Amino acid sequence: MVALNGSSVQELMKVDLASTSVRELNAELHAPTARRYEVHNPRGAEAIAVGLRHAIEVEIHGPAGYYCAGMNMLADVVVHGSVGTGVAENMMSGSVRVRGDASQSAGATGHGGLLVVEGSASMRCGISMKGIDIVVGGDVGPMSAFMAQAGRLVVCGDAGDGLGDSIYEARLYVRGRVGSPGADCVEKEMRDEHVAELGQLLADAGLPHDPGEFRRFGSARRLYHFAAHNSAAY
Amino acid sequence: MCGIVGLHLKNPALEPELGRLFVPMLEAMTSRGPDSAGLATYDAEGMHVIKDVGLPRDICAAHDIAARSGHQAVGHTRMATESAVTSDHAHPFTPLADLALVHNGSFSNHASIRRTLARQGIACTTDNDSEVAARFIARELTEGADLEDAMRSVLKEFDGFFTLLVTSGTQFAVLRDSFACKPAVIAETADYVAMASEYHALAELPGIGDARIVEPEPERVYAWSR
Amino acid sequence: MIDPAQAGLRESATFDRATIAAIQRAAETGVYDIRGWGAKRAVPHFDDLLLLGASMSRYPLEGYRERCDTDVVLGDRHAGNPLHLDIPITIAGMSFGALSAQAKEALGRGATEVGTSTTTGDGGMTPEERGQSKHLVYQYLPSRYGMNPDDLRAADAIEVVLGQGAKPGGGGMLLGQKISERVAGMRTLPAGIDQRSACRHPDWTGPDDLTIKILELREITDWQKPIYVKVGATRTYYDVKLAVAAGADVVVVDGMQGGTAATQEVFIEHVGIPTLAAIPQAVQALDELGLHRKVQLIVSGGIRTGADVAKAMALGADAVAIGTAALIALGDNHPRYADEYAAIGSAPGFYDDFQDGRDPAGITTQDPELAARLDPVEGGRRVANYLRVLTLEAQTLARACGKAHLRNLEPEDLVALTIEAAAMARVPLAGTSWIPGQGF
Repeated sequence: MVALNGSSVQELMKVDLASTSVRELNAELHAPTARRYEVHNPRGAEAIAVGLRHAIEVEIHGPAGYYCAGMNMLADVVVHGSVGTGVAENMMSGSVRVRGDASQSAGATGHGGLLVVEGSASMRCGISMKGIDIVVGGDVGPMSAFMAQAGRLVVCGDAGDGLGDSIYEARLYVRGRVGSPGADCVEKEMRDEHVAELGQLLADAGLPHDPGEFRRFGSARRLYHFAAHNSAAY
Repeated sequence: MCGIVGLHLKNPALEPELGRLFVPMLEAMTSRGPDSAGLATYDAEGMHVIKDVGLPRDICAAHDIAARSGHQAVGHTRMATESAVTSDHAHPFTPLADLALVHNGSFSNHASIRRTLARQGIACTTDNDSEVAARFIARELTEGADLEDAMRSVLKEFDGFFTLLVTSGTQFAVLRDSFACKPAVIAETADYVAMASEYHALAELPGIGDARIVEPEPERVYAWSR
Repeated sequence: MIDPAQAGLRESATFDRATIAAIQRAAETGVYDIRGWGAKRAVPHFDDLLLLGASMSRYPLEGYRERCDTDVVLGDRHAGNPLHLDIPITIAGMSFGALSAQAKEALGRGATEVGTSTTTGDGGMTPEERGQSKHLVYQYLPSRYGMNPDDLRAADAIEVVLGQGAKPGGGGMLLGQKISERVAGMRTLPAGIDQRSACRHPDWTGPDDLTIKILELREITDWQKPIYVKVGATRTYYDVKLAVAAGADVVVVDGMQGGTAATQEVFIEHVGIPTLAAIPQAVQALDELGLHRKVQLIVSGGIRTGADVAKAMALGADAVAIGTAALIALGDNHPRYADEYAAIGSAPGFYDDFQDGRDPAGITTQDPELAARLDPVEGGRRVANYLRVLTLEAQTLARACGKAHLRNLEPEDLVALTIEAAAMARVPLAGTSWIPGQGF
């Protein structure tokens, strides 16, 4: 690890994962001695920058593997590349931006913060999301927002089959086609407050789209109670 | 439960490099399958299979896989679920002279299909669930199906979780079940098609930064032929 | 009304009265029966085993005066801070939501008083529970309700839950009656809905991906916390091997008698294997890996007495966990509530409607008035007393077998009363050297 200036809290530290282990990197990020980090040669390694809890900036130059920025709090993480399964899973706060594509379960169970995937996200994006905001520049795969409880998922491209299956109170905005909505997920009216919140999310994500091009999906709330007439949906 | 990798070269100029490109792919999947490993390489003389117990690094070194040439390779690192750790139980399963199958996941009705195949005189030699899928596909091919159709038949008959990579002398095909929980990533360039359980197995390939990367959709056969 | 027995009426063994009632209930409602508790059917259990006390060939230890130690270390395979417990009897995972906050606090108080651990559940960690529990195991479940990395770091161990004995392969349920504002807030759900939670984790499946998930959890907690993997007992031999392969420090095996707060009756009674059958499979798996006693085995599902503790440990468990028994110690099914049980269609000794939220004992409820019936301090005292009795009983038996430490009990100290128990537990039928069914 190379510190770029000599004070006790440095401005920038560069970490080369070709010569430093993920363990060493995470230990440093958990007790940071710099404000900003550049991580090089990630080569798809797993569990990079997980469990952060300080307001630091981490830029990862290259593709990251499973659970990149998992359980993030406060930190702002940017990946200049693609990410594997479970990027920003269970994020609490802060932000994670993926310049490339994300694999399965992006933002899974996240409670807060903003996840931006500039490319596309594959299956189960936002599964069991609990308050996180997720903005995807491209498409999301099948079963995205499965059992989504709270938060907003914005899809600027198309959404695969089973969107929002068994959804609770999360709000979904899709600009392109929806393969098919899942059980208990229905299209809903775009009211002014939805246009406003979507506009803010797109602005936060730095994406140029007009909120008027999106449709909103959410829960029909028909599966909120076990009942005989719902048995086919279970 | 495992890691799977495959490399299908389009550019003949890379064929002398097949083993050198392939070995890091297999080694990258060590943590997904530390028990045993296996691989098949394809060249003008046909398919060559190596299966052994131990770490991929040691197996590749012992058989000097890095020096191999050819147009295609498929490999597997195994974390045994319900059957024994032996070289026979290692993947790939190769029921025909040029057919290799590697599997990540777990079938939930393979015992019934095994019995059906046995009644037709097709016997499995191990209790591994993946072998059943290999012999099922071999039966379909023997009866005249092409590889893509045979893989679609897998979707109709097999229950459970799977990512499959199946290769023949000329074809390279990937299929995931309807849940598509078991990971898979495919990278394609003008020079090759590469497939792996996780991206980091592909990270050392030439030109990977500019490759078209896709995650195969559920229940869709992805196939390449030469 | 006539007495059927007096009148010579014959009840069908196949369609007995409980079966008839179940069919009629199904026809009436169109929804399957959901209840709490664990399997109620009779299965081979610890009662079918006996210990061989010392006499001439072995020497017993003096009760009370000669030491019989009970401490256990859990999780020293990879974790920087393994758990050091004074007794090998822990409290199993039960959620705030399934139980009242007072009940969770009482379990923490009781466990802490005797130096053992308690466990969160499918609903996050409450401050009451963390505050009153010296050793708190944090469950990591498919739903991830209330999952917070600060709580993960505040926990003393992490238990990755794949399943539980009452419903291996099933997800969670919590019916609307129990989704109070506080429970709903912790789970990020609307209050009052019937909550269903997933049976698979949202971001991994199988042991290969679990390996990576455990790596992530270790990285987040800087390799300090022990990581348990909990499975419901089914294909236990394979599951234990795979949990170890994935990196677990501790494996928790929950037999089919293990409890639940809300599960389909058909699931509780028809899926899984008895605790007695699961332990030898788990121990065989660990033995073959050379990791028995290095990766610790915690067994739960039907532990009631010190005899059960001693027998489970003799079969190879490093520790046990109790759930249903701890609720009973708190006052569940107590005869003093007989009238109130009758008013909701049940009776002391039969009450299992934990899903319903109307528990007269104030344990499995979120109703503030009912929950207030349980004083956490008094409840904690009762749990501690019960844990002490279990420990004293287990020590009594271990001393009789000549053991200065509970962990020195071994399968050779056991015999079986029935052929079934002998086959499952892999110990000889009493008075013989016959172990039926050997050859796994």
